Amino acid sequence: MRWGMAVDLTQCVRCYACVAACRIEHFLPMGMSWPRLVAMETGGDSPTVSTYSVRCNQCQNAPCVEVCPTGATYQREDGIVVIDQDKCVGCRYCIIACPYQNRTFLSKDKDKGFFPGRVETDFEKAGKKLYRHQVGTTEKCNFCVERIDAGLAKGLKPGVDREATPACVNTCPAQALTFGDLDDPNSEISRLIKEKNGFQLHPEYDTDPSVYFIDGKIGYSDEPELRDDSRQEPASAGAER
Amino acid sequence: MSEKKIIKTTCKSCHGGCGVLVTVENGTIIHIEGNPDTPTLGTMCSKGLSSIQHINHPDRLKYPLKRTGKRGEGKWQRISWDEALDTIESKMKESIEKYGPSSIAVSQGTGRGYNRYTHRLARSIGTANIITPGYICHSPRLGMYGLVTGYGRLYCDYHGWGGEFPKTQISWAKQLEISSADSEMAVWFLNSLKHVKNLIVIDPRETALSSRATLWLQIRPGTDAALALGMINIIINEGLWDKEFVDNWTYGFDKLKERVQEYTPEKVAEITWLKKEDIIKAARLFAEDTPGCIQVGSSLERQANCGQTVRSIICLLGVTGNIERPGSMMSWIVPDSGLLEEFFQELPLTDEMRKGIVGSETYRMGAARTAHSDSVVKQLVNGDSVVKVWFSVGGQQILHLANTQEVLQAIHNVDFLVHADQFMGPMAEHADILLPAAHWLEMDDIYNMHPRFMIEAINKTVDPPGEAWPDNKIFNEVGRRMAPDLWFENVEKMLDYTVRKANITWKDFSKMGVLAKIGKDQIYYKYKTDYWKKGGGFPAPTGKFEFFSTVLEDMGYDALPYFQEPGESPVSTPELAKEYPLVLSTGYRQPFYFLSQYRNIPWLRSFQKDPVVQIHPDTAKEYGIEDGDWAWIESPRGRIKQKARLFPGIHPKVIMATANCFNPEEPGPLHGLLTSNPNVLTSNDHCDPMFGSPDLTALLCKVYKVE
Repeated sequence: MRWGMAVDLTQCVRCYACVAACRIEHFLPMGMSWPRLVAMETGGDSPTVSTYSVRCNQCQNAPCVEVCPTGATYQREDGIVVIDQDKCVGCRYCIIACPYQNRTFLSKDKDKGFFPGRVETDFEKAGKKLYRHQVGTTEKCNFCVERIDAGLAKGLKPGVDREATPACVNTCPAQALTFGDLDDPNSEISRLIKEKNGFQLHPEYDTDPSVYFIDGKIGYSDEPELRDDSRQEPASAGAER
Repeated sequence: MSEKKIIKTTCKSCHGGCGVLVTVENGTIIHIEGNPDTPTLGTMCSKGLSSIQHINHPDRLKYPLKRTGKRGEGKWQRISWDEALDTIESKMKESIEKYGPSSIAVSQGTGRGYNRYTHRLARSIGTANIITPGYICHSPRLGMYGLVTGYGRLYCDYHGWGGEFPKTQISWAKQLEISSADSEMAVWFLNSLKHVKNLIVIDPRETALSSRATLWLQIRPGTDAALALGMINIIINEGLWDKEFVDNWTYGFDKLKERVQEYTPEKVAEITWLKKEDIIKAARLFAEDTPGCIQVGSSLERQANCGQTVRSIICLLGVTGNIERPGSMMSWIVPDSGLLEEFFQELPLTDEMRKGIVGSETYRMGAARTAHSDSVVKQLVNGDSVVKVWFSVGGQQILHLANTQEVLQAIHNVDFLVHADQFMGPMAEHADILLPAAHWLEMDDIYNMHPRFMIEAINKTVDPPGEAWPDNKIFNEVGRRMAPDLWFENVEKMLDYTVRKANITWKDFSKMGVLAKIGKDQIYYKYKTDYWKKGGGFPAPTGKFEFFSTVLEDMGYDALPYFQEPGESPVSTPELAKEYPLVLSTGYRQPFYFLSQYRNIPWLRSFQKDPVVQIHPDTAKEYGIEDGDWAWIESPRGRIKQKARLFPGIHPKVIMATANCFNPEEPGPLHGLLTSNPNVLTSNDHCDPMFGSPDLTALLCKVYKVE
């Protein structure tokens, strides 16, 4: 069992719905974003801009787990990398270690509220009771582990049953996100990665991410050639467009 | 004791209408997500989801206000709804007595399920001076589609209900994938791409889809009619047209054939800046790989040649037989509730109303049942205005009309301006009476974004702040005072009336959520049945699909489509182009804003703080602009500044400015309108002869760095 996600860039329309759904699902503080859209310029003779929906890659050889001095960051049996906020001391080694820059330290200035100094909304008040965010610790995408665990306990299948599937996957108007078990060769995600040449970001880092990307042409055009630059990775620190 | 419930409702944060599940605990919304048991399959975008930040937003308007200082000075006094409504009633009645009912204008923003209230209110008062953005968004299509289907709608059949999906799709000046506009939904379109063979994107700049499309035509803004006519030329001259459809069901093919001869691939390539080979390829793909559909964007309707552009595209659909065939362009059978537009159509336009429409003599397609907005502006500026009282709900004409400086002057010259809104924006700042409006999470209503195959229930989830009212209640209460016989005891009775033809009440419908005609309920090939005409045919005077429009001929317009250069372009105004060498389009939209809305919603603003203008890196280099610099964009009307984004996907001779900008946080009354809104640059001097649409997306400009 290894949970994974595929982001189909031929379907993704860069609408930020995944980001918004995550913010609601986890009552994220105003300055916090677990998934992000990262833009990069492609190379070649006719360069253009592409944008990737990125989040924690839940690497199987996760550098963040290796460097964590307290064991706050650890990997579950199902491959998901999680952070125990009670053990995190905010040393931020993991932020430096993550080659994809997918971790964020929750500082005080990132937790100012929607309308700082004016009003605390009912939604924010409710969020404080329903989902913990500890200033001084590090956060990142957890593949909506709460939904997965609660769903599995009810006998539901993550990636198939909505209740057990990450919020970003459910909301995507382009249905560009696919979630499922990478260890199961018959799962939708495994089939998609195989059929459409799914690729991981920066394989040279040897981290074995659980998030895959798919790119190519739309349609079954009789011109078979794929763009040569279609498999480039985003620059690690691209500007958000 | 804690009370938690999940309420099913419908989002109207854009045109779309996605099904929504709202979790409310002890009166507080704690979660929003898409409803999987609706036609939008549980998907929602960032705009709808961020509605959570609309609720409890500290800047919401909570009480009716009346102006106490000079117009736009920002001095207000809280008043009761009774006082507000009494004042509105007496001002309207006074104006009717003095100047006649046409002196009342009712305006709205983009139609989001409240068009029927705007129109009914106006007609019940006796005026047809309705100011809407329709003429720059969808109305030209409705007018021209009406010549084909009678009721003015052609939709892309993305659904496969007839057994086929579109094989070739053209996305023309449109980003449906981020907009869910004009009765189509992003999720349906994107799903249909899984079945498409060829995707052709026609856009002056690269988009998420164009870079992965079969063919991307990077067209010069404003030349789309030439491209459509060029494609028809190729299709006819290569013998690729749909013979069965053309021979049996169309009128005027020979005349069209003759007309398009002048639009040779060579000539069209020169006009459009496209490669001849690409034009030929697009024509062949669309004619050979059928069925196909064309998603037409409203950018084409923000050009002063839009009537003929849309006509050309419809003729392209006709020659390829892409009408009423599964996977092509459809006019849907509406749900059992009937056409919701009957809610206002049941009050017919009288001759007096027609006579009073501002601009109706000049723009006989566009200003046939609504006013021509730019003519209203010109009259107000000149001091000979028919319109004296302006009742405005939702939209901000001050932002979306061409030539902001003139519009501002016009707004100052209105005798009495009422505006209903959720926030204090540039339009609200200029009102005499300001009414607080509810959000869709705070109201009961029936939604249909134009008559497609379904209607949806909007169910109230929480109370509005203060004394804010839903639009339907505002309209009903004003209506009850002005024309009591034609309005309703309360909103529930009005909603009952709206769905009565389905033999249900509002309460029934509220629980049902969706009333639709889908799958086998839809009828394809209506022209082969008695649906429009006994024995088959189209609801046009000749009973056929008219390439040569007898209706337009009778009105004195050219009955065949043609291409005309935009009012300002390197070709039509070469002298002006020496000073303003770049083509300006103001069509840039971000997926997380909707027209002028949401720049005050923190989550959405976090995605992009400042308005952005896209410039090709080579062009930027020529003008000394670097990525992230503030750049002045200047036209003969004025200049604005936006942040330069160097973008290799845009044509080097074109720049694309973000539309409809203001910064809510900047001081009133203008909130940065004059420094960021691209309509400061646009012109209301050249308008489409049929619809009156001004050039907003094809003009000339120059750019330089803000020092």
